[in-house]
Amino acid sequence: MSGADHLPLRVRETEMISPLLKRFVFEAADGGELPPAGAGAHLRLTLEGEGRRWKNAYSIVSAPADRSHLSIIVRRVSPSRGGSAFLHEAVHPGAVVAAHEPGNLFPMSHIARKHLMVSGGIGLTPFLSYLEAIEATGADFELRHFCRDEEIPIFERILSGFDAGRITIHPASAPFDLSQALASQPLGTHLYTCGPEALMGLVLAAARDHGWPASKLHSESFGGAHAGGLPFTAILKKSGLKVAVRDDQTLLEAIEEAGLEPDCLCRGGACGVCLTSVLEGEPDHRDHFLEGAESASNRSIMICVSRAKTQNIVLDL
Amino acid sequence: MPVSGIVSRPTYEALAIDPAGRRHLFVADHAFEPDPGVFAALPSEAPVELWRALAEARVGSGAGPRANALARDFRSTTQLLDALAYRLERERVGLRLYAVGLESFVWDVARLARGLGMDSSEYRLSHVGSNRRRVYCVHCRAITENVATNVVACSGCGANLFVRDHFSRRLAAFMGFQIDAEAPGEVPPIEEAFP
Repeated sequence: MSGADHLPLRVRETEMISPLLKRFVFEAADGGELPPAGAGAHLRLTLEGEGRRWKNAYSIVSAPADRSHLSIIVRRVSPSRGGSAFLHEAVHPGAVVAAHEPGNLFPMSHIARKHLMVSGGIGLTPFLSYLEAIEATGADFELRHFCRDEEIPIFERILSGFDAGRITIHPASAPFDLSQALASQPLGTHLYTCGPEALMGLVLAAARDHGWPASKLHSESFGGAHAGGLPFTAILKKSGLKVAVRDDQTLLEAIEEAGLEPDCLCRGGACGVCLTSVLEGEPDHRDHFLEGAESASNRSIMICVSRAKTQNIVLDL
Repeated sequence: MPVSGIVSRPTYEALAIDPAGRRHLFVADHAFEPDPGVFAALPSEAPVELWRALAEARVGSGAGPRANALARDFRSTTQLLDALAYRLERERVGLRLYAVGLESFVWDVARLARGLGMDSSEYRLSHVGSNRRRVYCVHCRAITENVATNVVACSGCGANLFVRDHFSRRLAAFMGFQIDAEAPGEVPPIEEAFP
């Protein structure tokens, strides 16, 4: 299921939207039509730096119906695990990067009568493709975006092509109560949230408090969860490998560096594909997939985001 | 006998409230009086409404089954469903809907609710009363109501319909097909199957 990164993409153009945000427009390296990507889909890039390899996933922000190009917006993260800095500094128009076919773990509901989106910061990106899709279908929507005060003009510009009457940009410094928005949505509204963990946690908790059923709540987390941690050692029982996981890389990246290709998909602790059995040691769970008891038993680990609390962890790989 | 082992045959659980809801609307096709224990899990201020279609038609409204509850009576399920559509079009996320009554009624409610944006985690169905079935003729698409027997004459085309356990949530009806299509007049003994 992890598939091969067999989709070569050429950078058609890049644009600095702000000192920290850079837009990349990709086209198929062979000039042909790109594979379809629904609203909310992401692109996984394999980036080859000097002596370093990253596999990073970015939400696609271009219109789902347009197969001539795929666009992403990359935020330069600080401290970066390296991938976003590499994209900002070393990837220029004309460069060819390897990608996986687009995957989608955050699709829009097809039966929703209205789409309510709540985003924070760069978590806006999946909603840019939602807005493109909504524009095509004419569906009802409302977008509430939270960002740092100084970034308001940047996000206003990014969102300038869409129906401003249904978009509100909230400065993070101002107090804001989502209760009114959550209590006044027509039946058939689906809620989507993407952004920092704290924001998503607040939004989802407030929605549940207002009686929203789980079936109408959708969230996608990005980065953050696997940022940093203490180094540890993973012992891979089946392959007989001992892998040192550095503080600035994920367990999955370290395993890939060692030459293995374990199954994985979202690389964000959400999809469950990289579930791996733990034979010894205690995992530091950072995923959204394992449920309470399963997580507490410490018999499984999502290797894309989780780490180890113990110096060594023995995996069934 | 009806064909058994068909997974589309709905099963029902005892009526229980979903305390995660902010507002609760009960609809029933008879003089339903909820057991006060049903509300035990709710905070006392949670709004509750009880809508009933009564055989003895006296349209009105009054005090409901407990404080903060409103009761409203209708002359028929047709009138109740009509008012329910109007209501759900104006409702907001947070409502929980409970339908109590015959299968045909509770699935009519479910169909209406789905069409207006609710999903199965926001409504609960409780089958109370007879097992009589609404039957959909797969030949002429007519509906035959209140079927108690294993074979029934279709209200549309008159065919001898065998009533299956095969249930359509979309149509809120059981499937009926002509039992004597190959051998006209060869109909199994007709017996009461759905009392």
